[in-house]
Amino acid sequence: MPKNLQLLLAYWFFIIIGIACTSSLQAQTKAATQRLVLTGSSTIAPLVGEIARRFESLYPGVRIDVQTGGSARGIHDVRKGIAAIGMVSRALKADEADLHAFVIAQDGVSIIVHADNPVRTLSREQIAGIYTGRITRWNVVGGADARITVVNKAEGRSTLELFLDYLQLKNSEIKPHIIIGDNAQGIKTVLGNPHAIGYVSIGAVEFEAQRGAPIRLLSLDGVEASVENVRQDIFPLSRSLNLVTSNEPHGWVQQFIEFARSSQVHDLVRAQYFVPVNTD
Amino acid sequence: MRETMPIHTWQVLRDRIVQFLIYASVLLISAVFIWILADLVRGGFAHLSWEFLTESPRDAGRAGGIASILVSTLLILLVAVLTAVPIAWTTAILLAEFVAVDSAFGKAVRFSLHVLAGVPSIVFGLFGNAFFSVYLGLGFSILSGGLTLACMLLPILASTAEAGLRTVPNAYRMSASALGLTRTAALVHLILPAAAPVLAAGLLLGIGRALAETAALLFTSGYVDRMPDSLLDSGRALALHIFDLSMNVPGGDMPAYASALVLVSLLLCINILAMKFAHGLQRRKIMT
Repeated sequence: MPKNLQLLLAYWFFIIIGIACTSSLQAQTKAATQRLVLTGSSTIAPLVGEIARRFESLYPGVRIDVQTGGSARGIHDVRKGIAAIGMVSRALKADEADLHAFVIAQDGVSIIVHADNPVRTLSREQIAGIYTGRITRWNVVGGADARITVVNKAEGRSTLELFLDYLQLKNSEIKPHIIIGDNAQGIKTVLGNPHAIGYVSIGAVEFEAQRGAPIRLLSLDGVEASVENVRQDIFPLSRSLNLVTSNEPHGWVQQFIEFARSSQVHDLVRAQYFVPVNTD
Repeated sequence: MRETMPIHTWQVLRDRIVQFLIYASVLLISAVFIWILADLVRGGFAHLSWEFLTESPRDAGRAGGIASILVSTLLILLVAVLTAVPIAWTTAILLAEFVAVDSAFGKAVRFSLHVLAGVPSIVFGLFGNAFFSVYLGLGFSILSGGLTLACMLLPILASTAEAGLRTVPNAYRMSASALGLTRTAALVHLILPAAAPVLAAGLLLGIGRALAETAALLFTSGYVDRMPDSLLDSGRALALHIFDLSMNVPGGDMPAYASALVLVSLLLCINILAMKFAHGLQRRKIMT
């Protein structure tokens, strides 16, 4: 029995020391450094993570924690005060006018097919027909005699909202065969199925295509899908990548947003295959 | 007079077929494991190097290594195991040794453990985010991730430990009390060492589940790939890193393969070590 009691005591002792350590560490970190938490779009998270790393190296007193979970989560967390800055990969809607948005980059979204697919272009009506299930075979739109596999984005993804807005459709009207989350997943799905059609970020596709992946971007409304055309703002399906805050930003939040919009991070924006914004 | 059993050819044939099916299923299971391992080695071995293990990730994980992510993963695992093991094993000891099998209390505890075991991990993630991160104010941190995982590990550890304790023959307990040992002494010196291999197996199952966890950690321990300074820092787990590289970062496939290879090797090492340790413990405690 005494041995057991010792064990129990030792365990409780350990727990108490643990709690004491963490609370003292908490006090220390709060005193020594300022912490900014960002949550939101998984499209923006890798870019902001790189921007944050550079910002931290310039201002050693700040720590920036980048979390992900989707644009809707970013807006939710900023409103609740869990995050100082939210990441939203679309323009704010009418019922989100209480938030302040700052554009840090542009991104285009286009239709992708497998490189073996002979189809070069699709009209807006044809795309709407394919996604609503009225057109089910490729030969109707000039392709091979095969069934079309429709790849759609998951609910809550801003790429989906942008796409639906372009086609003037509701998500309930779309008849998808496969539902995907992030960009790279969409590309992998189409690479693995020569009869699939999907839509993803243009930059991600250009990167994969340069590395020899058999994938093709279709032009929309006669405009070729390329990062260059997104930069010139003539591509019909493009979106802004935003940082949002609940109040007028000040202090470190303001400094970080200004840094993320400045020309000092343009190389990082390009490295993630997005289009930098000109604020100067 | 010798009596001979007539052996029909179809009986021999039947035995052969059953034997073949058993070998085939064993081969199939090993083939799945070897296939996964071979695919990981083929895809990731070229990218693996000492620098990969000792550097922090750069360029969203495309370049650099996974040092900070390994540290975060091990810290999360440590928090989860240190919290869950004492609670789960004491529960199991109570259920197996001190409470009658058919008592209402024992049934209620067992039922709640079974329900807990069936809850999908994303639900644990949302609970952990709401309770540890927001309500208790731990934020996105290794601590809240580890505690969320501990909740997930509880049912696995408790059920396996209870099953392990029940496999110890009742004759052990009888002999112990005949020799005048108290119940506690019998438990510490005899029953727990006898059940050690099963306890270790349950622990491994739990560690495996914890290392592979992605959904529960996304909203609790977070996405930050920096080297953690304390348990209150956010730290990205290895499984989450693999998921992000393969699904969200274009061109992240090579590091994703290499990270998966590291994860699987880590699991193999922990497996082998724990099995050796459990075996040694059983021998030493019971034989001497």
